[in-house]
Amino acid sequence: MNNGFNPYDPVRARLIDIIDESPNIKTFRLEPEREFSFKTGEFIQLTLDGIGESPFTPSSSPYVNDRLDVTIMKAGYVTEKIHQLKGGEILGIRGPFGRGYPVEKFYGKEVIILGGGCGLAPIRSLLFELLEQKEKYKKVTLCYGSKTPTDCIYKPMFCDLNKVENFQCYRSVDVADDTWDGHVGVVTTLLDQINFRLENAVVVVCGPPVMMKFGTLKLLQIGFDPKDIYLSMEKNMSCGYGKCGHCMLGDTLVCKDGPVYTYDEVKNYDHIW
Amino acid sequence: MNTGHLLSRERWEEAVEGLIRDYKIYAPVNLWGHMDYERINPENVKQIVYNFPRPITPLKTFFLPVKQNVSQSTVNEKMVILGVPSCDLQALHLLDAIYLDEKLPDTVYKKRRENTILIGSDCHQTLDSCHCTTYGINPYPESNIDILLNLIGDKIILEAHTEKGQDLVNNILSLVKSSAVEENTRQEILAAREKTKAELFNRNKNLPDYMTTGKLIRETNGTIWKKYAEDCVSCGACAASCPTCSCFLLIDRPGFEKIRNLDTCQYPGFERVAAGEDPLKPLSQRFKNRYMCKYVWKPVRYDAVACTGCGRCIDACIGRINKNELIVELMDKVTV
Ligand SMILES: Cc1cc2nc3c(=O)[nH]c(=O)nc-3n(C[C@H](O)[C@H](O)[C@H](O)COP(=O)(O)OP(=O)(O)OC[C@H]3O[C@@H](n4cnc5c(N)ncnc54)[C@H](O)[C@@H]3O)c2cc1C
Ligand code: SF4
Ligand code: FES
Repeated sequence: MNNGFNPYDPVRARLIDIIDESPNIKTFRLEPEREFSFKTGEFIQLTLDGIGESPFTPSSSPYVNDRLDVTIMKAGYVTEKIHQLKGGEILGIRGPFGRGYPVEKFYGKEVIILGGGCGLAPIRSLLFELLEQKEKYKKVTLCYGSKTPTDCIYKPMFCDLNKVENFQCYRSVDVADDTWDGHVGVVTTLLDQINFRLENAVVVVCGPPVMMKFGTLKLLQIGFDPKDIYLSMEKNMSCGYGKCGHCMLGDTLVCKDGPVYTYDEVKNYDHIW
Repeated sequence: MNTGHLLSRERWEEAVEGLIRDYKIYAPVNLWGHMDYERINPENVKQIVYNFPRPITPLKTFFLPVKQNVSQSTVNEKMVILGVPSCDLQALHLLDAIYLDEKLPDTVYKKRRENTILIGSDCHQTLDSCHCTTYGINPYPESNIDILLNLIGDKIILEAHTEKGQDLVNNILSLVKSSAVEENTRQEILAAREKTKAELFNRNKNLPDYMTTGKLIRETNGTIWKKYAEDCVSCGACAASCPTCSCFLLIDRPGFEKIRNLDTCQYPGFERVAAGEDPLKPLSQRFKNRYMCKYVWKPVRYDAVACTGCGRCIDACIGRINKNELIVELMDKVTV
């Protein structure tokens, strides 16, 4: 490692834009003071100066390295303060950390993506990655659920997906309103509507713990191999690089060995959901 | 054993005084009946206690202070820590595996490790809670030392184990008179080692070894954790006094500074995530977590023991929880 490098020193980044995605989710566009590259599914530690630091997965394209987007749901102390930002502020970024999506393993396969709520952030970055080399994948199917139609984020991007050859997007809401004439039901019910060849498919699941749990159970029931189900584990994190012990999941560390794991890798640990 | 150097205690103390200018020296000193590391100065150099079992404070705190600003580059202070027992040196295998991992080392820890000279010593006595040999650790340093130092009668015997250690030994020999170590002194050192080992072995005959302990802990059902956790108040003394517990929490200060505070899974909220979800909310889960970490997970992940048998957690517990009693109770309950 180069001398003088301090893993605790964040790279400064200017907040150049804020996009309202839903009543409690915003996307923050950051311009780091120096090039910042990451692989899809890796995460960063975002510092709000003097307030605190939280882990987030960039939601932008891994092919862009002069700016990056983080999509943040208001969930507590730090995220609340981040939501109060107006633009122009300087934030700090540490990372990227962890093990993201092993996209090489998806080549030649059907990729099914099951996402809910803010779990869509890493998934958007994954979609950018998949779109970049779309000929490498047999088919990409996104199943995306939100509580209500207003909670649905990234609407424009997802609507456009259906125009891309071999890409399909299905949406559902738990509770419909007047504007909605699509599928109603928890996101896992979308799995009954889509076509795939089980033997040649992998599934990426990202969302709140309940969704990950019931999604995985349903996938196992359908007959998916635990090795073909990719999950994003959420754990408390502090250092982000395998030192502080906060993110221990059995003998693994989510910040280093994860956050992306196959179900097979975590199925024997306690409290995974 | 490599060729050592023999000094009278008096000459040695003179040498230590001479080194005070260039190094921050720490050594065990008797403080109101408690043995702990103290900063050595010309006034207390004669009070250093030699070949005593582990001091109250674990060695880790020299490399991972309770609270440290990890954003500011640390000053290039050279430290000498004297009289380190074998169990604490063994703990460094685990700490180094975590903190000096090649791809992403903790540069703050690394700097402190590099700037420190470790002088280990054999244990010529034991404490009631000492049980290093149960986990395959001898009560005399076999690794991670720069110098080995023993007091036999009124003679100090020094033995360099690394280049860094050799430089310091040379420095000492340039300050005071020394002689070669005679065969009978060597024999005395070996005899003391055997005596301590036998003492520990006899006292801890009933305890299972490290591997077996891990199996017992993995295989037991929940009742034992609930039972022992009833006396636990989550004070974290076990973790604070443990030579291998090294979890921490970063706290933010203005100016993008990070303050590293030692932390422990025994405190509420250690694993809390957004929306208040917390797998370790029940105290008994936190209590169990520590045992799983020490005897099941860490040894698999890092290929190092995470309990060195120093017994500090037993002495530190205000609920009088003795982890060895728990382990013995497990032996009766679980068949492995
Ligand atoms: C790898 C990873 C990627 C993530 N990606 C995203 C994302 O892209 N978008 C998004 O909206 N959310 C994401 N999250 C969740 C996000 O990190 C939490 O919502 C956020 O940390 C909550 O912080 P808070 O202070 O607002 O919440 P509070 O509940 O107020 O937290 C209070 C305190 O609890 C602790 N805490 C709570 N949750 C966490 C946590 N997850 N990690 C560490 N400490 C915690 C901290 O000590 C924190 O200071 C991700 C989490 C992980 C682990
Ligand atoms: S546990 Fe062993 S090595 Fe540690 S102080 Fe006691 S006797 Fe010495
Ligand atoms: S976040 Fe510190 S070890 Fe994973």
